[in-house]
Order: sequence, then C-alpha cells, then structure tokens
Amino acid sequence: MDERDLINRVRAGDGIAERALYDAHVDRVYRLAYRLAGDDALAQDFTQETFIRAFEKLDTFRGESALSTWLHAITTTVVLNGLRKVKRFHKREADLEAADGVTGGPRQAEPDLKVRLRQAIDALPQGYRTVFVMHDIEGFTHEEIGVALGVETGTSKAQLSRARAKLRESLADFAGEWVT
Amino acid sequence: MMFDNDEDKFAEWLQHAAKTYHAPRPTPRDEMWTRIEAARIRRVRPWMRWTLAAAAVLLLGIGIGRWTAQQRTGGPAGTPVASADTSSRDMVYQVAATQYLSRTETFLTGFRADLRAGRADTRFPGQARDLLTTTRLLLDSPAADDPRMRGLLEDLELVLVQISQLPAARQRHDTDLITQGMDQRSVLPKLRSAIPAGPVPVRTQGAT
Repeated sequence: MDERDLINRVRAGDGIAERALYDAHVDRVYRLAYRLAGDDALAQDFTQETFIRAFEKLDTFRGESALSTWLHAITTTVVLNGLRKVKRFHKREADLEAADGVTGGPRQAEPDLKVRLRQAIDALPQGYRTVFVMHDIEGFTHEEIGVALGVETGTSKAQLSRARAKLRESLADFAGEWVT
Repeated sequence: MMFDNDEDKFAEWLQHAAKTYHAPRPTPRDEMWTRIEAARIRRVRPWMRWTLAAAAVLLLGIGIGRWTAQQRTGGPAGTPVASADTSSRDMVYQVAATQYLSRTETFLTGFRADLRAGRADTRFPGQARDLLTTTRLLLDSPAADDPRMRGLLEDLELVLVQISQLPAARQRHDTDLITQGMDQRSVLPKLRSAIPAGPVPVRTQGAT
C-alpha cells in the first residue's frame, strides 16, 4: 500500500491503517525524541504525543512534503516545547552547569570521552544541538531539518558548522584521536 | 586545504563518536501504541461519553466495595478484612462484571448476526472500543482474580481489539478471522455460561 492510500484509510477511521502508519514511522520518531531528550520516559511521552497530534491533524496534511518530514516537524515541536517545560526539573540542567567548566578548558576531572562528549553536546545552544543531533547522529538531510524546524537550509548548515566548531573547542583534549 | 582536510577528519571522527550520545534502546512499540490508543480515547470522542459513564459505574462499584469493607472493619481500606466482608466487596465487582458480560454478549451476538446477514454496521468498531475500556478495567480488578473469569476477559479483550480495528472498508477475510477466533475459543458459549440466570442486577444507559 502506498503512503497516499494509507493516509486516506487513516482519515476514514481505519484502525489497522493507523497502526500501519505508526509502525512505519515510530522508530525514527522515537529515536529522534530519545536523542534529544536523553531520557526514555520523556522520549516515550514525546513519541506518543507526536502520534496523537499527527492523527488529530492528519486532515491538515496536504502532501506537500513526505509524511515522514511532516511527522518529524511535529516531533521536534513536541520535544523542544516539552524539554523547555521539564528543564527545571530535569537532571540535565545540573549537567549543563558542569559542562560549562569543560568548554575550552584543560582536560579536567572527567577523562572519559563518552561522558565529555555528552556534556559538550548538552552544553550546545538548543538550536545547534538540535541540528547536530538530527544531521550528524540521526542522518537527516539539511532539507529535512529545514522543514522540521521551520528554518532555511542555509541556517541548518550554518548551525551545524557552529555546533561542530564549539564541540571541537570543547574536545580539544582529544585532538590526537582525530588528527591521527 | 590542510585546514579543510583537518575539519573533515574531525567531522568524521565526531559523527562516529557521537553515536553513543543518548543512544536509544529498542523502540517500545506496543507499550506506546497501547498508551496512544488510551490517550486518544480519553481525548473525548463523542462515543466516549458512554464509555466514561460505564467506567464511572464500574469505579463506583469498586468504591462502594471498598467503603463497605472499611465500614465493617472500622479500619482503612488496606486493612485485612474478614472473609464475609471480602465476599461483600467481591460481590460488588461481580455485579459490575455481570453487567458488563451481559452487554458484551448482546454486542457480540449482534455483531455475528450482522455478519451472517451480510450487513456492515460501521458503529461496531466504536462500540468495541467502549467495551474494551471496561474489559481492561475489569482485568485490573478483583473480578479477574478468578482464573476462569480472567481467561474469559482476556479472550474478550482480544476479540474486541480485533473488532475495534476493523477497517471502514472491511473485507470478508477481516471478519472471518474474528469469527474463527471466537469459535475456536468458544467465546460466546463461555460468555453465556458466565452470566447468571435471571435479570442482570445493574443496568446502565447505552446497553446495545
């Protein structure tokens, strides 16, 4: 069944088509939500909210972009708004403060690359972090990111470039790992 | 050029290293789907008014059962109660269960009759969703402590899920699978034998 048929069936209230649409897209939505939220419970909440909204608003989907692109736009809206709401309650805030001491400084107490990298990515401004996660980790194209975030493709490219520059600065201690 | 090459090396290294950033576990598809369905039901579909009323009746029954037990023991709800009080509480659940079973039997009988007559009532999926909510409430209640009742409720849950997901433009094959499943599990005979003889003790609005 092609995507247009699937959408029409969902609009007609076909429960099996709803599940098929969900199955076709849930992995990527959940992965993106998880990468951005860093918490399974939040990622599940955001994924659920994404699909609830998508089913509610499917009548407004005009097919000008791929359904996946439309879904990812909903996902990023849900996740970024949700993260703003929970930020003050979230442990990540403490991590962000800790990461402030990492940026640009000499190699400090935390020698582990994985942890330092996480702290450095967490410390990126939200726009940079979102583009970096979507492009470099989840493999979205700049065009897809532009539609999802409602920005120009050039903005997405610029934010990725700045994100990488900041990360390079933060991870200067590990320069030997990529120079060799 | 040297600079570009260095940038590329860093980008490549970073992309590889960053795969560990908030690495997700396998997608919990079914867990999330169950909650999505429940949330969508809660977000007020017109037909849900009836379900909410039915659920309210069931919860009221549970509340009355707990209150009765508490009154008789003079202690909090969690206090162990005498067997007579337990029986009283269980009876409340049984009343709710009997009322539900009666409604479900009526629904499934109507469903099968329509299939045999070649009719396709588009209200069936919505009505199945209504009953499914009550089924799940009962599965979580002491009414499901009885293994036979639990088995029956689980069979009904499966059938109701299948009916609730029937496409608008259903094929014969879709409905055949449901009726075959019902026959294999003897759902309707088991359901009828679980309903006590005589009038159903509690009657609510919207019974089909």
